[in-house]
Amino acid sequence: MATLETQQLDDIIVKSRRKMLSLSTSALAGLVLAGVTKKADAQAAILMDSDYLNFALNLEYLEANFYNLAVFGVTIDKLPTPIGITGTGTQGTVTTKANFAAVPFSLPTIKAYAMETAGEEGKHVSFLRSALGSAAVAQPAIDLVNSFNTLAMGALGVAAFDPFASDANFLIGAYIFEDVGVTAYHGAAGALTITANLEAAGGILAVEAYHAGLVRTSINIVDGMNLPAAPTGTLTGYTQKISAFRSKLANVTLPSPPPVTNGGISGQDDQGIDNTQMVTLNGTAATYPSTTILDADNNSICFARTPAQILSIVTGNSPALASGNKGVFFPAGLNGNVN
Amino acid sequence: MEKKLNDLIDKALSRRKFMAGAGTAAAAALIVGCNNSSPAPTTTPAPTTTPAPTTTPAPTPAAITDADILTFALNLEYLEAEYYLYAATGSGLSATDAGSGAGTTIVPTTGTMVTFADKYLQQYANEIAQDELNHVRFLRAALAAAGATVQPRPAIDLTFFAGLGTAAGISGTFNPFTDENAFLTGAFVFEDVGVTAYLGAAPLITNKASYLGPAAGILGTEAYHAAEIRTIIAGNASSSSASAAQTAALTNANLISALRGQISMASGNLLAAETTLSTTSVIAADSTNAIAFARTTDQVLHIVYGGTAGVGVSKGGFFPNGLNGKITATTT
Repeated sequence: MATLETQQLDDIIVKSRRKMLSLSTSALAGLVLAGVTKKADAQAAILMDSDYLNFALNLEYLEANFYNLAVFGVTIDKLPTPIGITGTGTQGTVTTKANFAAVPFSLPTIKAYAMETAGEEGKHVSFLRSALGSAAVAQPAIDLVNSFNTLAMGALGVAAFDPFASDANFLIGAYIFEDVGVTAYHGAAGALTITANLEAAGGILAVEAYHAGLVRTSINIVDGMNLPAAPTGTLTGYTQKISAFRSKLANVTLPSPPPVTNGGISGQDDQGIDNTQMVTLNGTAATYPSTTILDADNNSICFARTPAQILSIVTGNSPALASGNKGVFFPAGLNGNVN
Repeated sequence: MEKKLNDLIDKALSRRKFMAGAGTAAAAALIVGCNNSSPAPTTTPAPTTTPAPTTTPAPTPAAITDADILTFALNLEYLEAEYYLYAATGSGLSATDAGSGAGTTIVPTTGTMVTFADKYLQQYANEIAQDELNHVRFLRAALAAAGATVQPRPAIDLTFFAGLGTAAGISGTFNPFTDENAFLTGAFVFEDVGVTAYLGAAPLITNKASYLGPAAGILGTEAYHAAEIRTIIAGNASSSSASAAQTAALTNANLISALRGQISMASGNLLAAETTLSTTSVIAADSTNAIAFARTTDQVLHIVYGGTAGVGVSKGGFFPNGLNGKITATTT
């Protein structure tokens, strides 16, 4: 049954996959370029793997700049070992508050987590840029001032929110991104046609989920410290409101049947930390005290979101336009074909 | 070259779609075949941080279906669910959740219900127990809905932690049910393995529309869990007031991690070493690209069977009678 062509294809896929696993970037670049060419052949606006990877790259630019600014006080292109931000589309700058300074961390473990995450998100930018090669999009304009203020008003009902002001604020800022990253990679994974790209996306999805678990666990620990500026329940309360707001942005019209979260909230595809949960386990009544560190559905499976839903969250356009969405984190829009 | 590649991809994709419609088994066998019998890469002298993959003349691969992959995952979920349920409640899966013909679960005679001094840790344990139970139920339902055989829980040995601990170099007899810190180390044994197993198996799934999404979603959950456990272990040990047991939990977690890395290296070389856990390094991912590790089903089998090397190992460790289903024996 296996034809010569199939064998050739399998050889190419396997070789490429192995190369990717051995951390060669040239092989992946070739794969992505193959996707680009295929699109031209098809003469249709069918999104290719490279489009999804570029969409992801826009989000990684956002995350990497947020974390590196938080820890080092500079954007990714100004690091001692700069990360590239050039590419196709319109290159933009990062808007920060006047006299910007890194987060004045007072908790050493939170600073350590921030530093680790800054490094990892930077590596995701570099990895995707290498994989995409000359097809990689440039860093779009990113706003880290008005964006958080807008979201704070929408989600928390407060006029201003500076995620760089303290440990606790930083964690809430990070919270806004990480679960979204999980749902974005999850939603795009099924659309990827090339196995190597799927594996890479799966691996980044896992790291985003690790980050989300790290941030949510850390928020719960800091919340439990009952700090003067954030009495117990304050930070977890924020997470619940932010999750509800994200879900609202992403779901102008709820699917049928509506999503149900692991914490039992119907009509939301997102769930903050709730320490009043009770679970049944192997018994017959919900008698075991629990929480919702996990952000998932009632099968304990993480939610997935389409690129349009992600665009609604990061640009505030809800529902998202077919193209040309801009606002909130991306004041000039995203670069690439998913925008 | 590029044109040829595109043509090949186009043709093969449409052909595979057709084959998937006619029966996923054949398409799956094709993919499994290419994983097992591919030649070593020769073209690009790429900079590598892992040793070159070795080509192993594997036994003739059986036709592996999506149901077989889900069943493999179900076996691992049975193990995780049993561990967390016993720790949280003192008993395991109900007869309904374990399935007809379920094997027995061997537990330490000293009891399994962990006494949690920290109420947060108890909440985490209960949440994860519910999540893993949900995964068992979801996979059982998905297999039933697909018309596949729903394999019951295989025999599970939760006293194997002692043997695993000895192999890893943990001092004394390791029993994760003795206190909350030992429980964390026990949880650490499973969660990262779950991440790597789903990551390795997800691309093998042929019916992407039906099963890839859930598999990726469970992968995400396992990573949330893994990060939660890793954050707590590292954070506790870093505290200036860390207890000896909290310090030991980190030390022991890294001994387990090193052992898992060794076992994986012996069976495929796709994973050089795991990330050493500390407050400055919580995430388990490769250090170059920050992409999580994947493991083949073979590597996962070697780990859960307790590290016995070689082809054809089909039981041992946490699974004294082996896994149920078709993916049960090591191939390297």
